[in-house]
Amino acid sequence: MRKLRVAVAAAFLLAALSMGINGGWILWANAQTAPKPPAPATKGPAAKPARSAQKPGDAKTSAANPPLFVDVTRAAGIDFHLNCGSREKLYIVETQCGGAAAFDYDNDGWMDILLVDGSSIEDYLAGKCHPPRLYHNNHDGTFTDVSAKSGLNFCGWGYGVAIGDYDNDGWEDVYITGFHGSALYHNNHDGTFTDVTAKAGVANPTEWGTSAAFGDYDNDGYLDLVVADYVDVDMKNLPPFGIGPFCQYRGIPVNCGPRGLKGARDRLFHNNGDGTFTDVTEKLNIDPDRYYGLGVLWLDYDKDGCLDLYIADDSSPSLLYHNNCKGGFTEVGAEAGVAYSSDGHEQAGMGIDSADYDRDGWPDIVKTNFSDDTKNLYHNDHNGEFTDMAGEAGIGAIGYPYLGFGVKFFDFDNDGWPDIFMANGHVDAQVEGQSFGIGYAERPFLFHNLGYQSKIGKFEEMAEKAGPALSKKYIGRAALTADFWNRGRQDLLFTNMDGSPVLLRNEVPSPGHWLRIKTIGSKSNRDGFGARIELTAEGSTRYAEVRAGSSFESSSDPRTHFGLGAATKVEAIVIRWPSGQVDKLGPEAADQELVVREGSGVIERKH
Amino acid sequence: MRCDWLRKDDTMTDDRMTNGTMRNQGACRRLKGAFREYFRGSGLPAAAKAVHRDRPVIAALKRRANQSLALVVVIASTVITASLCLLSAAAPAQAQNPTPAQTRQQMLEELDSGQLRDAVLLGQQAVSRWPRDAEFRHYLGVAYFKTGDLEQAQEQLTRARDLNPKDSATHFDLALVFLSQQDYVRGADELEAATKLDPTKALAHMLLGRAYLNSNRSLQAIEEFKTTLKLDPAMKLGHYHLGFAYFSLGRNDEAIGEYKEELRQSGESPVVVFELGHALLESGKYEAAVTYLLRATELDAPNPDVWYHLGKAQALAGQAAQAEPSLRKAVELNPKDPRPHYQLARVLEKLGKTDEARAERVRFAELKKAQPATAGMATGRDQ
Repeated sequence: MRKLRVAVAAAFLLAALSMGINGGWILWANAQTAPKPPAPATKGPAAKPARSAQKPGDAKTSAANPPLFVDVTRAAGIDFHLNCGSREKLYIVETQCGGAAAFDYDNDGWMDILLVDGSSIEDYLAGKCHPPRLYHNNHDGTFTDVSAKSGLNFCGWGYGVAIGDYDNDGWEDVYITGFHGSALYHNNHDGTFTDVTAKAGVANPTEWGTSAAFGDYDNDGYLDLVVADYVDVDMKNLPPFGIGPFCQYRGIPVNCGPRGLKGARDRLFHNNGDGTFTDVTEKLNIDPDRYYGLGVLWLDYDKDGCLDLYIADDSSPSLLYHNNCKGGFTEVGAEAGVAYSSDGHEQAGMGIDSADYDRDGWPDIVKTNFSDDTKNLYHNDHNGEFTDMAGEAGIGAIGYPYLGFGVKFFDFDNDGWPDIFMANGHVDAQVEGQSFGIGYAERPFLFHNLGYQSKIGKFEEMAEKAGPALSKKYIGRAALTADFWNRGRQDLLFTNMDGSPVLLRNEVPSPGHWLRIKTIGSKSNRDGFGARIELTAEGSTRYAEVRAGSSFESSSDPRTHFGLGAATKVEAIVIRWPSGQVDKLGPEAADQELVVREGSGVIERKH
Repeated sequence: MRCDWLRKDDTMTDDRMTNGTMRNQGACRRLKGAFREYFRGSGLPAAAKAVHRDRPVIAALKRRANQSLALVVVIASTVITASLCLLSAAAPAQAQNPTPAQTRQQMLEELDSGQLRDAVLLGQQAVSRWPRDAEFRHYLGVAYFKTGDLEQAQEQLTRARDLNPKDSATHFDLALVFLSQQDYVRGADELEAATKLDPTKALAHMLLGRAYLNSNRSLQAIEEFKTTLKLDPAMKLGHYHLGFAYFSLGRNDEAIGEYKEELRQSGESPVVVFELGHALLESGKYEAAVTYLLRATELDAPNPDVWYHLGKAQALAGQAAQAEPSLRKAVELNPKDPRPHYQLARVLEKLGKTDEARAERVRFAELKKAQPATAGMATGRDQ
């Protein structure tokens, strides 16, 4: 580093002296000729590739082409305001709030919404509560706030949320992560929940939990729980704003950390099947170096039938735990190529998700990072390794100045090729107005998969063409997808720091056909999380894994959605359950939801 | 990995300037190369020449001190020599009692001819006689600057600026001092003043762009580089800097266009060829990147950074067999850089050399651990 500085100083000195030998300004000025005429115009931004006029994703916002997504937050009755400390974001605890979930808490077949609130330092220390808000889906495009009677009385500083039926009773339960205390709520089947944290043993009382997700890593039929823990700080003694080497960003004072602060150890809780969990973090050697955990993802990247675990870490290597199918894990992030940037540098990993974006039958990974860094699009090389294809795919350069958080693969136009949504927003409010080329509030990204044009593995960013809602700037955090209106379209919801969440109704004109599968495990966990689905339509096979938790502090619609493009029927569906059961289904007509019970096949069709 | 030396901020501590010294060493080489390119043909700085001229005298005195003559003689000789020098320097001024105009002319001649010590002495006398004359302080500041005495240069140029704030040249020269001190913010302030007073100087706009870029004001930097090129479309490295500013914002296509324009206008330059290859690599245009990076290795073979990026591009282009020797060359040239070991491990794995791949991963891990605790500051956070 010293060498760099010396070199920079020397170079400038050299430059200055060299100009000086020509007399500096005083002599140089005399030698200058008169200003020359302007240069011929250099080329502007690269032209966007031409795209088929017939594709729904091609619509530009105009009277003739309505927006692809419409902000219906207020109209839907969502009046939540996210609290997360000071607007100046003086402390790191104020920078990461905003968990959100889409789930069907009352089993009426419609996705409801849970929004986790943060707090403020004063309120937290005073014990003042900011409970989460639960919105019931009224099936008519509106939601009703049912928080008061829900029993979701989390009191603390909430961050993220995980959804899963941990006791296999057929009703989704709720886990809320928080600062030095998280909580598990059991669904009472009557619209209310009971706090069972103490009994379950998942309080995570000394850590700052961020993202969490349920997944059955040992295939015993019960959902286990992983919690990403971030930083170990004392709320009564937070590092002072802007003071110290880790409290500066580009020369301006900002909140401190995470570097310079002690990391918090991620936690893995094994479900004992009796309503209790056992903390197996130490036993399974999870996160021994206490990296700064932010994003979690269960996936079966080697398709061996055992869920692997990927954790996105801030300012430290991200971790990929390969499941040995014998109850243990081996951390293989570096070997697999997903621990560091392609140059071997630590990144500030935030949100993660997985899907088979190039339809080669293997799950790939997308990960958001800090600004001045490319986001990762890790292509699964089928041999236990991944290659970051962000640059080639077209998501690298454009994302470079943005700070990404929530991220989701989803097929917004049902063309059969997974697209990507990214919620962006900086962590340092002080960057606003600094002419850094970045902002505190940032617009989100909508990357359209160009696979439909036979441009496999290529994306086009088109948020600004998707309507005013996606052209605005937000301080985005959690992001999730769900079919809130059961129309066979994937809608979006993301949270916005110190503001309202944004509920975006998918209004893509003429989307493709679709099929949705709701999995019900019998031997496997009731949600069917971890099941691998292969769906064949028009001779082409699509691959997906069943999950709810991914992105950042989020839980999405657990029903697995397939865009089918022009296909009006599905020829075959193969579901490989975590138990080892394989169900072969089909043919099935498109544009319906199949409820599939493990070992029993389709038990219900919803049109 | 981006070549972000331009964006390093002087207010950062060593702890924040992380991501590994290896990358930075490579950046330094590019930086030096860029300046070599930019100032090719301008010769050694006058200050260096002046020092060289005095060396025989100093050496002679030392030799004499080492001889058997009494130390007193040496000291006396030195004093006498020094006194004579001072007298000879002062004598013309006293004898001729020059006017301010004559003094100005003499100072300019001395500055121009590299007689910096004389210029400093003359300047000191001038500001003593005419303390409110901004021009003398300006000249003296420039003389100090050329001798490398930045502190004195800053003081004199600041006073000159305060005496005559409407002189764009003084602002410009003071900016050079600040830039040399890596004080990009104050450097930019002075250049803003200079360009406001005289907006026609392309070089001032380019330096202002550089100062903005170094203080992370990328958008303003782009505007200044554009202005530079409007004023002087042939400004050497103008398109390069504009391209670099675009690249720092992820506007890779525009960066690539500017780099190509720089090459078209100014001919082949190692640093521009490299950055073009780098931008192509980061844009996923691996085959094209390989072409330019291969050329960069021919132009700047001792630069490990060039070999590293070539190896990375080859690996991503599916040329694992070609990537291996490139990465091994990068390791050979800079064995403490973790990056080529990381890439090499992946390439060797692809080539089926599992044991060698494992060894490279171990080496990578060792090198990462050997870095300072803060060296892992995440990409993007280390600005």
